[in-house]
Amino acid sequence: MDCGDIQEKLSAYIEGIISSEEKALIEEHLKSCQKCSESLADLRKTMEYVKDLEEIEPPAWLTQRVIARVRSEVKPKKGILQKMFYPLYIKIPLEAAAAILIAVTAVYIFKTIQPEVKLAKIPSEEIATQIPSQEKGKTPPTDESKKNIIPPSPPLEKGDKRGFEAEQTMPLKKPETMDKLAVPKAPVFVTKQEEIRSFAGALTKDEPSRETLSAAPKAKTLAERKIENISLTVNVKDVETCSKEIEKTLMQCGGKVIKTEFLENKIVLLAEIHPKAVNGLIEKLKLIGEVKEEGVDLEGLKGNIEIKIKIVKR
Amino acid sequence: MKINKQIKNNDYEILSLCKEGDVDAFEALVKKHQKRMLNIAYRMIGNYEDACEIVQDAFVSAYRNIKDFEEKARFSTWLYTIVVNLSRNRLKQLKIQSNREVFSLNDPVLTDDSQIRIDPASSEPSILQKLEEKEIQQKVQECINSLDGEFKEVLILRDIQGFSYSEISDMLKIAEGTVKSRLFRARDTLRKCLKAGGGDL
Repeated sequence: MDCGDIQEKLSAYIEGIISSEEKALIEEHLKSCQKCSESLADLRKTMEYVKDLEEIEPPAWLTQRVIARVRSEVKPKKGILQKMFYPLYIKIPLEAAAAILIAVTAVYIFKTIQPEVKLAKIPSEEIATQIPSQEKGKTPPTDESKKNIIPPSPPLEKGDKRGFEAEQTMPLKKPETMDKLAVPKAPVFVTKQEEIRSFAGALTKDEPSRETLSAAPKAKTLAERKIENISLTVNVKDVETCSKEIEKTLMQCGGKVIKTEFLENKIVLLAEIHPKAVNGLIEKLKLIGEVKEEGVDLEGLKGNIEIKIKIVKR
Repeated sequence: MKINKQIKNNDYEILSLCKEGDVDAFEALVKKHQKRMLNIAYRMIGNYEDACEIVQDAFVSAYRNIKDFEEKARFSTWLYTIVVNLSRNRLKQLKIQSNREVFSLNDPVLTDDSQIRIDPASSEPSILQKLEEKEIQQKVQECINSLDGEFKEVLILRDIQGFSYSEISDMLKIAEGTVKSRLFRARDTLRKCLKAGGGDL
């Protein structure tokens, strides 16, 4: 072993973690080698110096500062982080629960408003078709809706300008609209027109309002037909089974049930049907039970109409 | 003066409180361990202010991650691992910074193979004995500073802090054999450095 090898092992020698053979070899070498003995002494001294290095004292504020940082920095940070990065085993069930809740709520809301949607749909479609045809003239569609909503006070204040406009456009276009479309919207216009007329007429009594007078009754009759629906009364033995049969029959005739009312010993079906199919329906209903017709006047009706079928126990 | 006596491991009760977020319990841990942590950091960095910063960071980081601490290891060992790692990172930062800076006359003289050039050992009995104690302390720290990080860590943990080889092996995640060989090289370098009259001289 030369000095290099020995010096490499001196550290282990000091710690006593070498084999006894090596130890003997090193001690043998040290006796004869001044340089290596010095190295050993220096190494011992070095280790001593290192161990004797003074401990430094932490400053008094260290603990306080650590705790202050822990309280201020870590806590809010943790709060935000935890909110944003919940572990997945919390996050996934939470999201699943939220999704289910939303789905259930959506279905519930849909179910509660569904009938309204159904009923509202029919007129709204007609409004949509009605407005463009009616508004060929000057006023934009929004104005039309305003006219429906705003009570006819403007004509009162500003002379008859607004009323004039409304009255002039309406009656002129009315016949066309009436021919083309089903009637449901008409009553609204009519009543409004009547109001406008009564105000405007009372104040101004000019030509257009008189025109309205002649146009209004016409619209009114059309509307009344719609309101005074055809009513059929069917006398049967078993109300419930027959109502189902009647519903089927109705569907065969191209009609559909809008509403079913259950009363004592009586079921009232409110249905929509094309006027031309009404007679066929009546014939078929006669097979089921005794039929009484009321207000069956199919003349001049276009589009689907509403009929009422009362199923009464005999 | 030595701190290398084993710290008793009754941290567990306090630990469970800390895991529930009890800051007061954590304060007790800070008070108990701050000195040793500061000494490790100080010997690693060689600068008191930086060492204080590192100890603070280490405690904050420990508090954040205290839930991840597995009771398998000793808490103190875990804490010291954090402080060693933070010191190591800080050293790297400082090294990058100093590389960017224009070299100063105080920098160690580096040769092509990036080893510190050490003057041949003098034949006089020993220069070490002549040094005043304060000076010696300073020289020793300077020489420690001149060591590469991986040698420095081992030397500090073993010869200053007195951890066992297996503890050091756990902390640094290296084999015990590696701990030993690094330690012996570190001591030898330090010896040569001191013999030559100090790292920067």
